[in-house]
Amino acid sequence: MKRSAFVSSLLAGALLLSACGKSESGSSSSGESDAKSDGGAVKAAWIYVGPTNDGGWTTAHDNGRKAVEKALGDKVETTFKENVPEGPEVAQVIEDLVKDGNKIIFATSFGFGDAMMAAAKKYPDVKFEHATGIPNDIENFSTYFGAGEQSLYLSGMAAGAETKKGVIGFVAPFPIPEVVRHINAYALGVQSVNPSAVVRVVWINNWFDPPKERQAAESLVAGGADVIASGGDSPAPGEAAKTLGVGWTGYDSDQSTNFPDVWLTAAVYDWGPYYTEHVQSVIDGDWKKQDYYGSIADGFTDIAPFGTRVTDDTKAKIEAKKDEIKSGDFDIFAGPIVDQAGAEKVAAGASLPFGDQMSIDWFVKGVEGDIPKS
Amino acid sequence: MLRLERRVDVPRWWTWAVPVASVLAAMVLGAVLIVSSGNDPLDVYRRIFESAVLGSGSLSGTVVAATPLLFTGLAAAAAFRMGVFNIGGEGQFIIGAIAGAGVALRFGESMGAGVIPLMIVAAAVAGALWAAIAGALRAWFKTNEIITSLMLNYIALNIGDYLIFNSESSWRLLEGSGRMFPQGKPIDTSAEWPFSHVGPVDFPFGFWLGVIIAIVVWVLYRRTRFGFEVKVIADSPSAATYAGMRARRTIVSVMALSGALAGIGGASDIGDTRHVFDPKGLRQSGYGYTGIVVAALARLNPVAVVPVALLMGGLNNAGRALQGRDFPAGLVGTLQGLILFCALGGEILARYRVRRVAKAVLAS
Amino acid sequence: MTTSLDMATADATVPAVAMSGITKRFPGVIANHDVDFEVAVGEVHALLGENGAGKSTLSNVLTGLYHPDGGEIRLAGEVVRIGSPREALARGIGMVHQHFRLVPTFTVAENVMLGHTGRFNRRAAEDRVAEIGEEHGLPVDPSAKIWQLSVGQQQRVEILKALERDARVLILDEPTAVLTPQEAEALFVTLRRMAAGGRSVIFISHKLDEVMAVSDRVTVLRDGTDVGVVEVATTSARDLARLMVGRDVVFNADDGQERASVDADRIVLRVRDLCAADNRGRPALNGVDLDLAAGEIVAVVGVSGNGQRELAEAICGTRRRTGGTVEVDGQPTSGRDPREMIAKGVSHVPEDRLHTGLSPSASIEENLVLKSYRRPPISAGPFVRRRAVRRNAETLIERFGVKTTGPTVSTRLLSGGNVQKVLLAREFSAAPKVLVAASPTRGLDVGAIETVRGLLLDASRSGTAVLLITEELDEALALADRVAVIYEGRIVGVVDRASADLTEIGLLMGGGRPPAEEL
Repeated sequence: MKRSAFVSSLLAGALLLSACGKSESGSSSSGESDAKSDGGAVKAAWIYVGPTNDGGWTTAHDNGRKAVEKALGDKVETTFKENVPEGPEVAQVIEDLVKDGNKIIFATSFGFGDAMMAAAKKYPDVKFEHATGIPNDIENFSTYFGAGEQSLYLSGMAAGAETKKGVIGFVAPFPIPEVVRHINAYALGVQSVNPSAVVRVVWINNWFDPPKERQAAESLVAGGADVIASGGDSPAPGEAAKTLGVGWTGYDSDQSTNFPDVWLTAAVYDWGPYYTEHVQSVIDGDWKKQDYYGSIADGFTDIAPFGTRVTDDTKAKIEAKKDEIKSGDFDIFAGPIVDQAGAEKVAAGASLPFGDQMSIDWFVKGVEGDIPKS
Repeated sequence: MLRLERRVDVPRWWTWAVPVASVLAAMVLGAVLIVSSGNDPLDVYRRIFESAVLGSGSLSGTVVAATPLLFTGLAAAAAFRMGVFNIGGEGQFIIGAIAGAGVALRFGESMGAGVIPLMIVAAAVAGALWAAIAGALRAWFKTNEIITSLMLNYIALNIGDYLIFNSESSWRLLEGSGRMFPQGKPIDTSAEWPFSHVGPVDFPFGFWLGVIIAIVVWVLYRRTRFGFEVKVIADSPSAATYAGMRARRTIVSVMALSGALAGIGGASDIGDTRHVFDPKGLRQSGYGYTGIVVAALARLNPVAVVPVALLMGGLNNAGRALQGRDFPAGLVGTLQGLILFCALGGEILARYRVRRVAKAVLAS
Repeated sequence: MTTSLDMATADATVPAVAMSGITKRFPGVIANHDVDFEVAVGEVHALLGENGAGKSTLSNVLTGLYHPDGGEIRLAGEVVRIGSPREALARGIGMVHQHFRLVPTFTVAENVMLGHTGRFNRRAAEDRVAEIGEEHGLPVDPSAKIWQLSVGQQQRVEILKALERDARVLILDEPTAVLTPQEAEALFVTLRRMAAGGRSVIFISHKLDEVMAVSDRVTVLRDGTDVGVVEVATTSARDLARLMVGRDVVFNADDGQERASVDADRIVLRVRDLCAADNRGRPALNGVDLDLAAGEIVAVVGVSGNGQRELAEAICGTRRRTGGTVEVDGQPTSGRDPREMIAKGVSHVPEDRLHTGLSPSASIEENLVLKSYRRPPISAGPFVRRRAVRRNAETLIERFGVKTTGPTVSTRLLSGGNVQKVLLAREFSAAPKVLVAASPTRGLDVGAIETVRGLLLDASRSGTAVLLITEELDEALALADRVAVIYEGRIVGVVDRASADLTEIGLLMGGGRPPAEEL
């Protein structure tokens, strides 16, 4: 429930990927003077669905908040509310934050959307930013998220090089386009170094459920997998991998120091620069509404440091691919791509359109598992 | 050796003096805690009061937060009064929400506001049936209802997840952003429950409904044959059997009543606030479990559940308002726990006296 | 302090146990008064008496649980003071209680060794337990968990526990109460064998046939004193019965109270072949036949645990009947629901007044409508009429002389006598056809006993058939028109008050021969 996929207007192709918060002067409705609280510092607030020490999603966002503090020093005063349930209570939380004089409020869970939009309409002078949210036409409301699939392609390469049996188990949260896209990218990465390897998918229907994630990982290994991939937020699959002595690619957070023996790498998001830029724009009075989709090229998404299991040769290959992605020379969803049944989905020379990526509901060849009919 | 002894005569004025003294004690202990965390207790208490009562919209927020707790608190009180430990308010709430949302989605558009009573009835029936499962198991197979009702919570949560995340049920939004992320389908705006305004405070319809139901439950337990039976069964099951009361039937009835109350809470969640069925949000809120605390603080008195639910709702909102960089969530939780602990402690001291007992007396 | 009785040095002519002049008082009761009790080495010695005769007190004195107010105890000739059960055990006195003190989840060996200090060596412990069992003919698997064993086997473990501590004197408190006849048979063989091996066995019982079957000598206790020591070989069950109950009976029934005229033609309670099980599911009633006429008082007497409680409950519908019929005023009853019996006019004064007969936390006024709350005038539709409840309470409190500060007082705060008055007030106010009263005077003081007995007579005078279940023979003979004796779930004899022979009744209570076939 934390993230949602992105969004209908993206589907319509209306929004630009590149519009990543470059400062433009102009249409901010809040002037410089009222953006600043006493003492000149601008107040910024974050609303988290989980605890800041969840070792995953919320930790990553809170690290972003800390980066803002570090970068902007006494120009900013940050605060956060953790463990906020997705329900009628959120409205009150936002209300309090506005009352406390916060000029920009970031909410990092999909379920906060309705309350955020309602508050945005009520307080036009405050900027509202909703991670994983649905774009809309409210003037003081932005959405932001990032292209995890590029990083997943790279971590898939590490997994493909690691597997001996040619079977990789993927512990997947929800059968939704975002995750399907991630699994496809991962499988394509695997196949780029190990064409015959397969990715076996188990759905756990939760973003964060350590016991279930662990169980799923164990059953995948029992079923023949010798590398485990996490798609959810907890490091539990890593614990299973550690016990069973198989390699592991994580998600969301760098666990290389906690699981040195089994760690390969992970797709990670770096929210710091984005947050810094946007708080800065409020200070400067030139905040602008946008729907942001970050990428490796922006430095918004990346992969975590490699583990000891990854050979130098593989590291070099992955780094090279990362450079190609950055420069725009390589498109992970470039054709030819065939689906599980062998039907061609993307012709050679073509690329999967962005809109199709956002609503993808089929697996590429080499993925074992079903997308529940939904 | 210390022993708790039931007080025989409790002065009337204790009933209000004890809670007040408990809250004062909690504030004094809390002040110590706050000072040791490097904050100013007076400032903290002012903020609590402000965000629960004084601030603009605070009271409205408190009432909204209290409404679900009102229903789950009543549900727990209704069952616990008979010594039937229905821990399943959570699941019954969810089942009620499913039923309420189902009715609203099916008939909301065509019936408009006329669907509201139907939502309430459907949610009550669904919650009652769900709870009656645990009740019947207890009555006829002597299964511990604490365990069965708790297990039914997980089943209810999983049913909720299934409806939204794993199926194309009619509860699920299948177009627009629903194609991107699994989520509930919003009910028709005409099926949304109305808010009423008293002065600056907005009251959800569910709150008034809960207040009325609290009074009805109070009358039921104090003035009717059913209430009389419940009282005797709670006190001495063997006396109840002896007097020809149908204990089993009453156990199932009380469970069903309790489930119906929680179920109506689920309908209120759909109608008053969320307007969609959201199993994830409900799981996170844990209204059913908080309701048990509410009932305990209200000394299982249905009418007292109303102010206690408001207190808890206000406290929860204030807690979140308090939280921040210098005031971690853990400290807020500790403070809330302290207030509840003092309230329960005061409750025990009001009803029992602590006696020193010589060992020899115990041995004989 | 430990001079355990040692066979090698024990002189066979010196009694293993000699208690003399033992007196033990409890507040208001003298449980043992100047009791002499001797057990020889190598004998099985029975301690016989009715409930409350002082058997348990005496054995508790011997095992150090009670400290006597007078008298002395000699073990193998030596005067001792026994401070605690632990000390008793150290001196070689082992006790097998009626309710076992075993840990169900432990093995036999662990239970036997429980209380030893030091390291527990499973193998050694199991070997040792097996060895002792072998030696005394008490086979039991040392590695089995207690909960897996039958009651008879558990009892063996209790005996093994005592033997493991080398108990030279073994006390068994009503050991057959929980056993099947076959298990009891086996136990007797074991006891005889232990006696033959030089140990002394004290066998506490009120069952005449068992006492006759297993013991060498019998000490009979009555009303806290020893009334005789007899050799089993030279006595009969009949003589023992006379000793056990043969007191000067005070016939105070013809005390000027006007008796009810019994309408013998109108049988209001007809019980035929009634069967029921106890709480553990074992048969407790094995075909009871009883007839009560209007205005008649029939007392059911017997040693407790012979089905009295089950009889009352099976008639009143609070216990499931497993067979037989109960007719009230000629109408059959299903017995599935107490409500049915209440509606048919059967009132019930249960043994456990405060927790079964009443709702202890509820107020007096609420308890007074415990059965009538569901009918007008107490209720109106679904509502209970508080004013009617109050009026009912005020009337009954006045009429039955309940001493209380007000009708809203919690019932459990009342004295025993007043509790019983509240209960009787409610039951009588229903004008019942049949009143089943179980031990209605137990635990009450003299004045209250008088009141309750008077109320029972009142009831009979107003035409109610009263079934009085009691362990007090005096009470039975004082109130009843007929006395029925219950033994092992059967009515083994019915005698008219006029022709009641106490010895006969005592014999029947102890399971002696059934006198006539005409039950």
